[in-house]
Amino acid sequence: MEQLKRLVSGIDGLDALLKGGLIAGASYIVQGPPGSGKTILANQLAFNHVGQGGRVLVATLLSESHERLFQYLSTLSFFDPNRVGNQIQFVSAFDTLEREGLDPVVKLLRGEISRHQATLLIVDGLLTARSRADTPLDTKKFIADLQGHAAFSGCTVLFLTSSRLDDGSPEHTMVDGVIELGEVLVGSRSVRRIQLRKTRGSGALSGLHDCEITEDGLQVYPRLESLYSHPSGSGSDEQGRVSSGIKVLDELLGGGLPGASVTLVMGPSGIGKTSLGVSFLAAATPEAPGLHFGFYETPHRLRLKASALGHDFAEMERHGALHIGWQPTTEGGLDEVGARLLSQVQAHGIRRVLIDSLGAFTRLASNPARLNEFFRALTGELRARDVSVMATWEMRDIFGSEINAPAPDLSSIVDNLLLMRFVELESELKRLLSILKVRDSYYDPALLELIISAHGIDLQKAFTQATAVLSGTPSPVPGA
Amino acid sequence: MSTILVVDDEYLIANILSYALEDEGYQVETASNGQKALDILKGKRVELVITDYMMPQLNGEELAVEIRRQPLLQTLPVILMSGAQAHEGRGNPDLFVAVFDKPFDIREMIAKVKELVGAPKSS
Repeated sequence: MEQLKRLVSGIDGLDALLKGGLIAGASYIVQGPPGSGKTILANQLAFNHVGQGGRVLVATLLSESHERLFQYLSTLSFFDPNRVGNQIQFVSAFDTLEREGLDPVVKLLRGEISRHQATLLIVDGLLTARSRADTPLDTKKFIADLQGHAAFSGCTVLFLTSSRLDDGSPEHTMVDGVIELGEVLVGSRSVRRIQLRKTRGSGALSGLHDCEITEDGLQVYPRLESLYSHPSGSGSDEQGRVSSGIKVLDELLGGGLPGASVTLVMGPSGIGKTSLGVSFLAAATPEAPGLHFGFYETPHRLRLKASALGHDFAEMERHGALHIGWQPTTEGGLDEVGARLLSQVQAHGIRRVLIDSLGAFTRLASNPARLNEFFRALTGELRARDVSVMATWEMRDIFGSEINAPAPDLSSIVDNLLLMRFVELESELKRLLSILKVRDSYYDPALLELIISAHGIDLQKAFTQATAVLSGTPSPVPGA
Repeated sequence: MSTILVVDDEYLIANILSYALEDEGYQVETASNGQKALDILKGKRVELVITDYMMPQLNGEELAVEIRRQPLLQTLPVILMSGAQAHEGRGNPDLFVAVFDKPFDIREMIAKVKELVGAPKSS
């Protein structure tokens, strides 16, 4: 099968959406309303392309001055004024368009492509060309002529336009790809979106993906479930067992948690889910490092919490056994945070992760219907990278018999399920832990009392003298 | 009457500058690139050229080199106005009598023009 030569955009997420980049010599429309980031996308691509040895011609059909554009671009990290006028040429064809029409513009740009030996042509202001055209056929011919000349010299073309062209427009039928940028309101939050409306000669991750504009330019976050619809690896065959960090629990589990499995710890607020997670992380080593991916405790508070359980996290961090990746919940979208988790796992060779909590992830979602697929892709990818995961889920009711699963079809996401409850017994509030499910393994189904002390977490078989313990209000076994 | 040739592919800048010069009483010609500027110079007497750097077909530096090469135009003063390439202009005092960084103060430009070609003579 023939693979077409690619022009790497240098924008990681976009290259992932395009399955490797733009097709060299092809032509694309980049469309979106004013302020959606077309100019940033195009210029970022231009500077990245120059960094790879390419040459760029930016031709504007607009009346905005180049100096104003440079002033604006100079606030972005990719802008390098030394490239301007050298590897990147900015020319205006507005005057030619106004006075002479479309054909002379084609002639002018054709000459410029060869004069600068451009490998990328950016035409900003397709709408202006359209308004100058007498008939839709003229616009079509303009695009056809330009891309014909460009393709002849192996030059890739981007046409930028602020008009919302639909799929049937003559412009769309001419080009090889359409990249659409936009913005939607989710509640009171504005979310930028990118969509590949058309990609000829290439697979692409379809649908809407989140993006944002930072001082480093456009950042694209492909929907995790589309990016990892198939996990990137198969994981190792021999999984063995991984210590939960709590000796008694390992024994009850028949030697520890199954390797590269996902354990969900469900329980109400204050029950000790994070403490259980801290113990799990404390079993990390420099050879098999751990990552705390938490949304609540700051690194400082987490170290204090660990220290109260007898674990020296600061020391573990110094030896590279532990990395703390604190995520303030207000920052970023679902896919961005998911990508961040995977990149931290990749960067540090992480083998165990505590996600505290899965619920914080769900609050990042602008479309809750996606969550199941998202978590399935995320946990699937972590398994494929031989990472053991523990995640927490806060249950709404502190007391009571009702137990809600965090997501439908939970078994596709998690392998092991631990339930924690408060139980009132003998005028005392006790913490209960029970193993509800373990992947492909026997386990001891006893109800356990969890005792948190300065020596860490201990578990004792308890509640043997009571019934209906999971309801939180047990009754003594008759006759006991 | 002194005629000034303004060369810029960005019509907005060419227009703003030429209106300002016309207000001062100068006659102004505009060209959207170096090649078109040369065509105008063939048929018209011009006292001063003000040019942009980055333009299609023939850029500001190429235009200035071409002007110096022609016997009749050898002494024609050329002002460069540019953002990104102003430093290259300053490194070439033989080509440019003055260099302005874009965006520039239009009054300073007018003052420079008066210094070079004098106040506009009424014909």
